[in-house]
Amino acid sequence: MAAVQTLTLVVPPTPASYAAPAAASSSRLAPPHPSGHRALLPVGPAYANHLRLALHHAHSFSSLDKHLEKERERLAALHSADNAAEDDLGVGSEEEPEELLHRDPKEWKSQDHYAVLGLSHLRYLATPAQIKIANRKKVLKHHPDKKAAGGAAKEEINSRFLTGVNLNTNDDAFFKCIAKAHEVLTNPERRRQFDSVDPVFLEMEEDIPTAAEIKSKRLDFFTALAPAFALYARFSKTQPVPALGTSDSTKAEVEGFYDFWYNFDSWRSFEWLDKEVNEGSDSRDDKRYTEKKNKTERARRKKEDIARVRGLVDLALSLDPRIKRIKQEEKDAREAKRRAGAPGAPAKKTKAQEEEEKKAAEAAAAAAEEAEKAARAEAKKQKAAAATAAKKARRQQREAEEAAGAA
Amino acid sequence: MSKKATQNGSTDAPIQISTLPPVVGINFGNSYASIAEDLAECIANEDGERQIACAIAFHGEEMYIGNQAKQQLVKNSQNTITGFRNLLGKKFSEIPQSENTTSARVIQHPELPDTPAYKVQVLQPSPAPLNSNTTSAYTTPAASHAPTPRSEPMLVDRILTVSEVATIFIKSLVQSAEDFLGKKVKGAVISVPSTFTDSQKVALEKAAEDAGVTVLQLLDEAGAAAATTTTTIWSGDSLHPDRTQLLVDLGASGLSLSLLSVREGLTYVLADSHTDAVSTAAIDDKLIKFFAADFTKKTRITLPVCPATAPIDQRAEAKLRLAIEHTKRTISASPGAATCSVESLKEGMDYTGSINRMRFDMLASPVYAAAAKQIASLLAQAGIDAHDVDEVVYVGGTGCLPGLDSRLCVEVGLRDGVETPFARGTVVGGGVGDPTTILARGCAAQAALIDSITEEDVRAAFSRGHQAREVRATTKTLGLIFPNNLPENKEVGGTWIPVVQKETALPARRIVSFDVEVTEGSKRFVCEVREVKEGIRVEKVVEEASPSDEDDEDEEPEEVEIKHRTLTKETLFGVIDTQAKLAIQTKGKGKDAGKWFTRVEVEFIVGIDGALDVELREVGGDGAVEKLHVSPL
Repeated sequence: MAAVQTLTLVVPPTPASYAAPAAASSSRLAPPHPSGHRALLPVGPAYANHLRLALHHAHSFSSLDKHLEKERERLAALHSADNAAEDDLGVGSEEEPEELLHRDPKEWKSQDHYAVLGLSHLRYLATPAQIKIANRKKVLKHHPDKKAAGGAAKEEINSRFLTGVNLNTNDDAFFKCIAKAHEVLTNPERRRQFDSVDPVFLEMEEDIPTAAEIKSKRLDFFTALAPAFALYARFSKTQPVPALGTSDSTKAEVEGFYDFWYNFDSWRSFEWLDKEVNEGSDSRDDKRYTEKKNKTERARRKKEDIARVRGLVDLALSLDPRIKRIKQEEKDAREAKRRAGAPGAPAKKTKAQEEEEKKAAEAAAAAAEEAEKAARAEAKKQKAAAATAAKKARRQQREAEEAAGAA
Repeated sequence: MSKKATQNGSTDAPIQISTLPPVVGINFGNSYASIAEDLAECIANEDGERQIACAIAFHGEEMYIGNQAKQQLVKNSQNTITGFRNLLGKKFSEIPQSENTTSARVIQHPELPDTPAYKVQVLQPSPAPLNSNTTSAYTTPAASHAPTPRSEPMLVDRILTVSEVATIFIKSLVQSAEDFLGKKVKGAVISVPSTFTDSQKVALEKAAEDAGVTVLQLLDEAGAAAATTTTTIWSGDSLHPDRTQLLVDLGASGLSLSLLSVREGLTYVLADSHTDAVSTAAIDDKLIKFFAADFTKKTRITLPVCPATAPIDQRAEAKLRLAIEHTKRTISASPGAATCSVESLKEGMDYTGSINRMRFDMLASPVYAAAAKQIASLLAQAGIDAHDVDEVVYVGGTGCLPGLDSRLCVEVGLRDGVETPFARGTVVGGGVGDPTTILARGCAAQAALIDSITEEDVRAAFSRGHQAREVRATTKTLGLIFPNNLPENKEVGGTWIPVVQKETALPARRIVSFDVEVTEGSKRFVCEVREVKEGIRVEKVVEEASPSDEDDEDEEPEEVEIKHRTLTKETLFGVIDTQAKLAIQTKGKGKDAGKWFTRVEVEFIVGIDGALDVELREVGGDGAVEKLHVSPL
């Protein structure tokens, strides 16, 4: 639609006496300048539209309007997509809980650096570019200069004893937290250390179900354990990491999975939890002692971590329904092969016999164990009885002696 | 699993796309050039200058471009090239030789026939004395195995054609723009003066191609200015989209005037003129003479300048010429006095002087007067009264002078309240009306526009001499007359609302919207669709001297011409006589209380064949709609 010129004038009413003159039917516009007398300057969007009108729309304004409307929509769509991509790489803005804003910057070891920068939704997946953007956003918002100005304006100091006293001395605490978070997350080594003991990860690690839980709560193998493996996958030096898969994964996939996880190569480390070397003391021995302790502690934690992962894999292997299935399939395949090849009856018999024997042996062993247990219990009983008898005898003797003495 | 380890940050960052297309606008003047990018902002070069002097200097092994090169005019004038743009594409025989230049001379190229060129002296590293593989322990008598040191660089003459000079210069401009944008420049729109012949345009295009720039369009300076002045940034809310615009480009090489008809962005030239006789070089000379005289007065050292003959005076003049650039800018920007300081102007004496606006305007007065005369003759040639000029636009550094604006407004007889950048206060402080950046920004806007056009045939019509530029245009103003008996509307018997102005390119569409008062009973309103003839009535009024002015008693009462716009009713196309359906009564206690109003929108479409369609609508849901059609010619 063409631009509407809005005039401010108000036209007075037509007098009632007005009689319209008759227009001559032959009236025409004054002849325009002939073509060629005036040459447009080839500039501006108006000229482009003039050309479109002449070249594509046969001088029809309504047709041009439709075209321009479509074009504008197309550009708007293009532009909005563009803007979103350009702005913050999906950093977005997160809520800042009060407790986070009032953190003490001195306790940066226990601080969640991702939460401070508003990257909780990305955590270890955040790219350096995203960290940079997030930091810039937070700094813009929480810079002490800004706070000082805003704070003074917000709360008027109503006590005249306090005029001129800066009450907001701790104003830049959160800013310091931000600076620390940025420092940690932009240094790849420090970030790796922090990611290793990421508080949110530790929480999630707690939730990994144990064997007993799976059994007692009758959890589904895949839904219970797939997240656990996905959780640990982040620490793998080789990426991508094979996932647990589904109940119909092939033998190769299942084997590949266990193969990978039994040889799991993790970059996780525990320097973050080191005890600080006591700053005050210059004692070299002190320092060495702490360092040594830290080193052993790190090694211990790493060992624990490896054991934990190993335990998880063991657990998975022991519970994996696919292993049974694969074994069964293999057995079936073998049997089918044998049956197809030679008369399988004797073999089958031996197999069945073997199984029976095994069962019998197991039963015998169980029986033996039972018997032994019973015997042990018996022996214990006898022993106890003997002891009480001896005690009794001793007491009687003592009593007799006492009686004799009194007499 | 064989993929490279990515321990942190395994999500891919989205690709960053900048919305700025890498196209720039270049205003390539004869003395100064400027560049601008798509957001229509002027780019400063590495030295932080928006106005980049068109000069290239060679000093030893160094090459200076821009304002640095201009400094070389003092000591190294023979190796400094200025004013080369106007020589582009010209033959040597066409260039007047009598000019007393202060920079490198234009000579005949020793090899190419009839080609102008410059001869400069540069230091060239001398060639290595021996090939490295021949310097062996056996052939060298010296004990050292080190190669023989090179001898000093040699002074050689280098011949540069005008085209080569332009290429070097454009390349440096583009480099500045690339440094600013951070990416390769894809194309550029370059401004050319209206006096450029086709061969000159071809030469400029070639020079730009050699510099590695695709020329999207060569834009007339008038066009470049129009590209800026038709934007909404320029016009804001106050400027009418249909206006007659006078473009004044007072530059060092002459005065260019264009009278433009701006009609909702579509612009064409009603008349233009160019003269070399009026130029700011005269202002510079006056100013130099003024300061030289002041120097003589202060120090008793004679300093003959403009023209200076002795080399010592020539150098002093060159120094002054550099210094007054700053003085002129200060005069333009601030209302106080501007200083001019030169160290060791002559015989070791420093000079510091100042000049205020009034004295400056007195010095420049002859140039202003000559410019005013040119404008008057242009208006006469176009058959347009000065009263009908709606807007004045200045281009170039001299256009920043407030004295020029006020003088022209009075002397040409422009009407009170004519729109100028000074009246709107957009000249200083990096405003949109800054005459030094208008052209570059216009070129940049144009470059972005051409870059955004996807249709091949539309793009082609932007090229030089395309016939799509030829248009038919109206000769008389079309509009509406709402009849009433008010005394101020006696002339045509009603309120006149112009809709399609004369000199509007066809096809044209205009929509105006306004309030109409109706009587309570009938709610009738009537308007005539008419063509009118506009004129100017001159009234001579004898201005009476006010009694308090006792000093002027003996002065004769002055006769002042007062101009009025007049209207003459011409062809009547039809009458729209209807009743308002959506009229509303005004509440409250104002003077309009109890009256009935309705808002109407009138659309005029004038076809390419001269047919006229008028549609009157009441704004709102089911208001009255009236149509009128006038057959084509």
